[in-house]
Amino acid sequence: MSNINRRTLVKGSLAAMMAGAVSSRSAFADTDPIMLGVSGPLTGPNAQYGTQWKQGFDLALDEITAAGGINGRKLAYQFEDSQSDPRQSVAIAQKFVSDPKIVLELGDFSSPASMAASPIYQRGGLVQFGFTNSHPDFTKGGDFMWSTSVSQADEQPLLARYAVKSLGLKKLAVLHLNTDWGRTSRDYFNNAAKEYGAEIVVTEGYIAEERDFRSTLVRVRDANPDGLVLISYYSDGALIARQARQVGLKQVICAASSVYSPKFIELGGDAVEDVHVGTRYFPEDPRPEVQKFIAGFKKKYNGLEPDAFNAYAYDAMNMAAAVLKIGGTDRKAIRDAFAKVKDVPSVIFGTATFDVATRRVKGAMNAELVVRKGQFALWDGKPT
Amino acid sequence: MSSWLDYTINGLIVGNVYALVAVGLALIFGVSRLINFAQGSIYLVGAYIGWVAVVQLHTPLPLTIIVVAVVAAVVGLIIERFGLRPLQNSVRIAPLLATIGISFVLDQLVMLTFSPNPRALPSQLPDVRFQVGGGTIGPLDLLIAGVGISSALLLFVFLRYTKLGWAVRAASQDRDAAMQMGVDVNRVNQTVFGIAAALGGVSGLLVGMYYNQIDTAMSLQATLKGVVAEVVGGAGNVPGAVIGSMLLGLVESYGVAVFGTSYRNLFAFLLLVVVLVLRPNGLFASARQAPPEPLTGTFIAPSRPVRIPRWALAVAIVALAILPLLPVSFYILQTLINAWLLGMLALSLTLVAGTIGQVSLGHAALLAIGAYTSALLSLTLNVPVGLAIMAGGLMSAALGTILISPSFRLRGHYVSIATLAIGEIVSLVILNWESVTRGPIGISGIPPLSLFGYDLISPASVYWFAFAVMVVLALLQARLLGSHLGRCFRAIRDDDIAARAYGLSLNRYKSLAFIFGGFAAGVSGGIAAHLYSYINHETFNTQQSILALTVVILGGLGNVVGAILGAVALVGLPEVFRIAAEYRILIYGIVLLLLVRFRPQGLLGTI
Repeated sequence: MSNINRRTLVKGSLAAMMAGAVSSRSAFADTDPIMLGVSGPLTGPNAQYGTQWKQGFDLALDEITAAGGINGRKLAYQFEDSQSDPRQSVAIAQKFVSDPKIVLELGDFSSPASMAASPIYQRGGLVQFGFTNSHPDFTKGGDFMWSTSVSQADEQPLLARYAVKSLGLKKLAVLHLNTDWGRTSRDYFNNAAKEYGAEIVVTEGYIAEERDFRSTLVRVRDANPDGLVLISYYSDGALIARQARQVGLKQVICAASSVYSPKFIELGGDAVEDVHVGTRYFPEDPRPEVQKFIAGFKKKYNGLEPDAFNAYAYDAMNMAAAVLKIGGTDRKAIRDAFAKVKDVPSVIFGTATFDVATRRVKGAMNAELVVRKGQFALWDGKPT
Repeated sequence: MSSWLDYTINGLIVGNVYALVAVGLALIFGVSRLINFAQGSIYLVGAYIGWVAVVQLHTPLPLTIIVVAVVAAVVGLIIERFGLRPLQNSVRIAPLLATIGISFVLDQLVMLTFSPNPRALPSQLPDVRFQVGGGTIGPLDLLIAGVGISSALLLFVFLRYTKLGWAVRAASQDRDAAMQMGVDVNRVNQTVFGIAAALGGVSGLLVGMYYNQIDTAMSLQATLKGVVAEVVGGAGNVPGAVIGSMLLGLVESYGVAVFGTSYRNLFAFLLLVVVLVLRPNGLFASARQAPPEPLTGTFIAPSRPVRIPRWALAVAIVALAILPLLPVSFYILQTLINAWLLGMLALSLTLVAGTIGQVSLGHAALLAIGAYTSALLSLTLNVPVGLAIMAGGLMSAALGTILISPSFRLRGHYVSIATLAIGEIVSLVILNWESVTRGPIGISGIPPLSLFGYDLISPASVYWFAFAVMVVLALLQARLLGSHLGRCFRAIRDDDIAARAYGLSLNRYKSLAFIFGGFAAGVSGGIAAHLYSYINHETFNTQQSILALTVVILGGLGNVVGAILGAVALVGLPEVFRIAAEYRILIYGIVLLLLVRFRPQGLLGTI
């Protein structure tokens, strides 16, 4: 199998011209920015996540440029909208693979879109760096698949410890998004919670478009739990919390880090007060990388609070920069550099180093937060 | 037992929410025999106008409702005047496609204006809760119920007792006769669209407040549930739509109660299929009511197809076959591979929708059946990929035909709705039947395409494979259309009563069409599975079915070359507009609308 031969290069540059991209021989000059390809949703049902990625990327790029770029060259990205649709992500994958300017690819968002494109990246010898791809099989696609997505095998036991050990909940109702992420997370959570001695009295999976949870919550009520665990994103998490309070459920609610967003509080209102969230960082976290990220984000986006997806994207761009500093612009060298980077400052991991065997990063940070007076705050150990 | 009371109350509460959309849909269907796929988008517009009014302008609730109703009504009038009225003399399917295009455009405009992030839409009613059963209801529940029921009642009275209402009903029964009697049909249509849009906008506002959340993805879901509720109640029957909504809410709620949350929509769509099969005119249609569709052939009007000379087709096939030898990029090859895969799906759909007149909106289910069969056979039983894909096609032909057979006795729009429901059911079964399909985790590590032991992994070889399969399927289908089978199919489409009078067994021919069509779609799904290496229940979704129908209508119903041309256009256009980034789907929607406007019979015409 040939990865990058001359024919590919010729085809690639022709492609770039045919696709209307601005391309010329000078693309290879050292003064031009190093290009990353991003495949993600900018339109369609997941468009919000693509916009959050952009915010995180742009902030990281500002900082990278201010610090002198990659060995003197600027770093930039080309964002191609895939709508998180596998049919479009495979075309984008071919586009990036055959465009010699692209040295590294980031994304896609959903598992079907990302993993459909993996064979193309693997064969084309371009690293597919998925930073929201928690599907356990994502990095099994080949040695060009790397991920900084927090493994649910790491994250869920932390949430289980928070719920069972710290909050002392013994009978749990688990509500999860019925996607590959939600399902995997649920299994890790349930196992960990049982090991800590809790009982899972009911689990309910719901589809992403669901808005009405009243009947689900009757099932939850009848199972008589002492706590609700939400393996949700912020919008559905807020809906469930609101409706739980409306139907009169007063149990403690614990949620996975993916609800960690100012939107969760905006959408949930009073109902999310006292909701416990296990997260990877929190606003008052004294770690310098967190303070830099939050201060920078608020400054760039008019006081907006960053959320989990902003942080993933920010970390991913910083990781990409660290990798490129070692690997240069050769695609294979970049793949090898993933195994070499050490202790990259990271909002999510503190410092991130890849485990070469799994091509993932272990050891996510943990913070136990609770919503108090409409703000995420560090949990003070008081029961709610 | 008290839980059952709670489930009942919850079912009614959510049914209440569905009713708001269903009433608007019923009204439009009642007059123009059109399922307005843009109703969900008007609902979306209403929600965002409401957000501007509440959060930015701080209007009090009554004023908010008036503002939203007026703006939504204006949007509805614009849609009627510029989107649908120019199409009133063209094929009946053109307005359906136009509403799909309009909904793309509206959804994208809202997304571009307000960003796709969800927003909170705070309720302006006092936050008091009344204890009912084990749960509580709030003033917003009562307001939604009030708006739903009173609008249904008002509309009922309006249609029955006012002069304009008579005109509306007359126009709905027989447009031409009404016009001869001096009814200004355009004014009637305008009135109806204005009212329905105002109602749609207000429902978006109220539902947004109810959940304290609005986002741009709410439009398609609202349309889907609204259509189900409306058809259950009897399409075009306004009070029936309210009752249908309540029934839908109850069935969903009881479904959750008995089987759990992940089965919820399964019950909604099963209810729909059962109602359609047992009472095709809806639960509340009277026996005397005129049939919901005109008796013969006007749903798909014949047109003069564009004749393409054989030598031109041969040249095109040769040119496309040698394309990978030329210095074209892998990106273009991959885009064309996608087009060929969509082309196979379109061949399948153009046969069942165009040639025999069963407009299916659930065709992605056939892809999914083929894909899962092929993936599982090659993974678990080590069946060679080529054979597995064939098996996928056969499974899709068999299972697809069996699943769709309940809809054989339906006509026109009802077939589309039944197939839409069957498509959703297949997707939900895939999600829930974990022991076989691995549920939401999906199937990963599907082996790549291979033929006689040779792996096809270079883009050129995949291209040739997909192209060859598609050309063979297309040639077979062209041969089929020219045979007596093809003539029987068209006879059934054009006049099923006459066809039956001539001794054609409708069910047999419809089954045959679905067997051929199912095979092509299954093969396409199978190839896709091996190409992607990973599939789950989201890979083949409703959007894919709608896209396939768009391709078929665009190419010309029943037209083999048209289907392929349409597939190339609809895969290619979004890629060409890539340079426009976020605006590309908007541009795509506008181009689609223009095509429908100026070429409603499709690019190459109906055969």
